Amino acid sequence: MSVQAQQGIATLRIPEGLGGLLPALILIGLFFVVPVLALLLRSVTDPAPGLQNYAALLGDGTYARVFFNTFLVAAVVTIVTVLVAFPVAWMLAIMPPALASILFGIIILSMWTNLLTRTYAWMVLLQRTGVINRALIGAGIIDQPLPLINNLTGVTIGMVYIMLPFMILPLVGTLRAIDPMTLRAAALCGASPLAAFRRILLPLSLPGIAAGGLMVFVMSLGYFVTPALLGGTSNMMLAEMIAQMIQSMLNWGLGSAAAFILLVVTMALYALQLRLVGSKRAVGGA
Amino acid sequence: MKLIFAGLLAGLMATTAAKADEMVFTSWGGTTQEAQTKSWAEPFAASSGIKVLQDGPTDYGKLKAMVDAKNVTWDVVDVEMDFAIKAAKDGLLEPIDFAAVPKADLDPRFSNENAVGSFYYSFVLAWNKGAVTGEPASWADMFDTKKFPGKRTFYKWSAPGVIEIALLADGVPADKLYPLDLDRAFKKLDTIKSDIVWWGGGAESQQLIASGEAAFGQLWNGRVFALEKDGADVGVSWNQNLTAADVLVVPKGAKNKDAAMKFLAAATSPTGQAKFAEASGYAPINTKAKAEMPADVVKGLPDAHVEGQINLDMNYWAEHRDEIATRWYAWQAK
Repeated sequence: MSVQAQQGIATLRIPEGLGGLLPALILIGLFFVVPVLALLLRSVTDPAPGLQNYAALLGDGTYARVFFNTFLVAAVVTIVTVLVAFPVAWMLAIMPPALASILFGIIILSMWTNLLTRTYAWMVLLQRTGVINRALIGAGIIDQPLPLINNLTGVTIGMVYIMLPFMILPLVGTLRAIDPMTLRAAALCGASPLAAFRRILLPLSLPGIAAGGLMVFVMSLGYFVTPALLGGTSNMMLAEMIAQMIQSMLNWGLGSAAAFILLVVTMALYALQLRLVGSKRAVGGA
Repeated sequence: MKLIFAGLLAGLMATTAAKADEMVFTSWGGTTQEAQTKSWAEPFAASSGIKVLQDGPTDYGKLKAMVDAKNVTWDVVDVEMDFAIKAAKDGLLEPIDFAAVPKADLDPRFSNENAVGSFYYSFVLAWNKGAVTGEPASWADMFDTKKFPGKRTFYKWSAPGVIEIALLADGVPADKLYPLDLDRAFKKLDTIKSDIVWWGGGAESQQLIASGEAAFGQLWNGRVFALEKDGADVGVSWNQNLTAADVLVVPKGAKNKDAAMKFLAAATSPTGQAKFAEASGYAPINTKAKAEMPADVVKGLPDAHVEGQINLDMNYWAEHRDEIATRWYAWQAK
């Protein structure tokens, strides 16, 4: 911690960098800090001064449920993303570079495609009359369409797909930095492949998993489009509830309070991520 | 502080401020706004020389942000009537200048000091003939999952319609609907909650029914009309059809108020209303419009189905909008 703090101070001491940063600082101040402060102010002044908006949000069972749903979806998405991303990242890490760069291209390309388009594509695939259900029914595997959309399953599938690159990229970095000789040494000492994975590869890649996982978790908390289109109303997430408060109910005080709570939680998690990444050099180090 | 926040919000969202000989019309997109553009905006622009810019979809949050920030970039907005009554109370709307907008022939049900009718519509029961065996004949059938299995689709947002449908299906007589018994309505809705797919916009409702993703549902009659025109195999029941209206309003502080009033006069004129009704299947709010419409179109309008028709109470909704919305979204999230 102290080492990290010193590093932070050292970075700040570079004087010639500061002048160049000024436009960016002004931009962030004007378009991020000021609106966030206004948001905070509104949450304690609209419709009347006081903390009643926060009391309403934290004391009401419905909002508590939405908060719980938000964390549940983010957690499920994070876990599934790690499980899917790990083998892909491992493959990318040990592949011949030429082949790996083609696969990287495909992964990056998916990130460049419009989010809404990708989500609609999942709707076409997942709905009751969609490609997947029709194929399964046609093949005689099921009689009734599987409920793949408007529920947690749909949200998870759609969001994992969108989050995968954010997990794969840091993980590849971590895995590439692991000396392959450690695995060979484990094998020479008689470790089975499973034991080598469990006792060598997994512990060494934990910083990458933690960094990517936290990033995915934080991004998932505030997601709007995918849960709104692929989820159902009973697993509504916070972002959608905020949109309802702002657009439909015109209760801006309550919406601001909800947004501020989400922001604080997200910032806290982000701070945690910075500590993890900063101390272990998990991302960008390789 | 409020102003700064709202100003930033409005400034970020609105980029299309109109010039002197221009105005901005905002509606709900899709087939409805297309019909409004063709029937009102284009002829109006040709005759008055005022260019009508289209924006959308209607967003009540944006409207409020613009008015609060005193940076209003919408001149005429198509809104639901219960919202218009509430918004007028909150001081978000300009009064209508009835010196510029002839009032004599407007259906008094759908106009008041701050709004003139845009069109009126019915919620009807529509179904995909390929996905349903038999013919659902009443809202009660939408709650009968044994007789009519499959997903059913309802309007997602808290608005007049679904609560009333649930009460009617539960046996409440049409003349005893108000004041709404919310407990009873939600209890009834609970019985089919897992079979409901919600639609958030007209195009979505059309897609759900046309694809059979939902076997049947509560749709705006104009959207069913458009499906039929496209040759989709849909059935429709007008039994207990529920009327509600969209109205046109001018947000407080609109920059092109005079142009807006002229536009309202053209949109609510017999010709404007007749053309729009013909294009959309929604009913005109000008009592003289029907004389200008082909007989077969008149036959398909909501006011050809007055038997068993129920008028949703916009004033009741305007009064209880927030309270119902809070319960509605809480119930949905359960």
